[in-house]
Amino acid sequence: MNIRERTANNATVLHVEGDITYATRATFKTAIEKARYAGCRNMIINMEQVRFVDSSGLGLLALVAHAFRAGQGRFSLLNPQPYVREIMNLANIHTLIPIYSREEDALAGRTELAVT
Amino acid sequence: MATEAHEQARSWQVAALSEVTVVIIDDEPVSRMTMAARLRKMGHRVLEADNGRKGLDLIRRERPHLAVVDWLMPEVDGPTLCQLVRQDRELKSVQLLLMTSNDRPAQIAEGLQRGADDFLSKAASKEEIFARVYAGVRASALVRDIEAAKDELSRYNRLLKDKQEELEAELRSAARFVESLLPAEGSPVAGTSIAWQFVPSLALGGDLFGISRCGNEDLCLFMLDASGHGVSAALRAASMNTFLHPDTLAQVVGSTEPGAVLTEANRRFPLTADGDYFTLWWGRLHVPSRRLTFASAGHAGAMVSRSGGASNWLNSPTFPLGFDPSAAFQSQRIELEPRDRLLLMSDGMYEVPSPQGDLWGRTRLLDAITSGRDLPLPACLRVCLEAARRWRGQPDFPDDVALVGIELS
Repeated sequence: MNIRERTANNATVLHVEGDITYATRATFKTAIEKARYAGCRNMIINMEQVRFVDSSGLGLLALVAHAFRAGQGRFSLLNPQPYVREIMNLANIHTLIPIYSREEDALAGRTELAVT
Repeated sequence: MATEAHEQARSWQVAALSEVTVVIIDDEPVSRMTMAARLRKMGHRVLEADNGRKGLDLIRRERPHLAVVDWLMPEVDGPTLCQLVRQDRELKSVQLLLMTSNDRPAQIAEGLQRGADDFLSKAASKEEIFARVYAGVRASALVRDIEAAKDELSRYNRLLKDKQEELEAELRSAARFVESLLPAEGSPVAGTSIAWQFVPSLALGGDLFGISRCGNEDLCLFMLDASGHGVSAALRAASMNTFLHPDTLAQVVGSTEPGAVLTEANRRFPLTADGDYFTLWWGRLHVPSRRLTFASAGHAGAMVSRSGGASNWLNSPTFPLGFDPSAAFQSQRIELEPRDRLLLMSDGMYEVPSPQGDLWGRTRLLDAITSGRDLPLPACLRVCLEAARRWRGQPDFPDDVALVGIELS
């Protein structure tokens, strides 16, 4: 797994490359926690390069979503691939984490544009 | 000189000069004793032997850093002794300094070929003797270092292997425990027949399913997936299995109504600090009316294969347990027909990667189930598993694979 961090407006965008699974969750969690400790209140995970999310990966996303929600922060996903989107839909993730197709919508947090 | 000598000792990686053992093997007493006296003066522990055979015994017993060996000796001469020492794997670190009164190149070549490390002329100056002895001891210390490092590596290697075996044994025993919780095949309630396939992954995935009678006419069914792998996932699955026992449910939920069971399970099993959770499908089949009531918490592995040949997934997007602590799960209901099949499976059944990393996927599984419709239920499940295995290209799966079928008669 390869994670690139970028700041856009007031948000931290993490470009994730590779699978979010049981095997990679420590790396993923560390990258997210690093940004949170640095004060990030609006995090966007760019999922374009993520081929697969397993059950551990989903759990981690839910956990992170809860943490941001508890801290009045925002957490959203950008452009998951069709198979990943299908896995997420089956677990109803889109009702917990907004999923966007365009980064500017994610940055603005426009709930009406979140796609299901 | 003393400070210099200590510096030397440090550079040889030995604690003290007195820890350096040198063996002198020479049948000529005067030359032997003179050399011994010189080396003792350098601070070394010096042992002597007056012939080749005794010398070899001494080297084997003491494993010295260095042996100074005279060329010409009766019985076992210097080069033969060098050869014998080199044949002994235990004596690799012993440096052999062959002593000779003439230093013709041909003789030197022969000595080196037969195992000597260096030469010393009997006419050598005090300085030359010191220099060659130093060089020999340094080389010996290096060989000892390498051997010690090798020993340590193989010790760690053994330790790692032992730990690995211990871990695998634990996983195997946890897998056996999980398997012991699985239901029996056959017909627990008249009018139904049950078959299943279960392949626990090497890493133990935490999948579990159960089929039990509830009263005289109902069959309770569940398929559970504890996220994560290993003993912790298996333990969590076992604890959920206890909760899902009809007797426990009767006490703590007051019913086996699917929505109520899942809503209570959601309350009792929140997301863990590591983000671990369960997905759970729970169903109740009223056998006389063939009515199936079910609810799912993020578990997408339920399918109906109709007697007419069509198959479809029973999915509606729902949260896994613990994702939303206040979630209320709703029951759904469908009517089944005689010979219809209900199939429950773990996600490991369709998330099967090919050697290239492509997933087998839900569509291919659905097709496999549909085309196995004319086979008896156990054969249909076997054929599906074989198809997944062919896709995988190897016999084991990365996650637990569970596939359960119930057919109505």
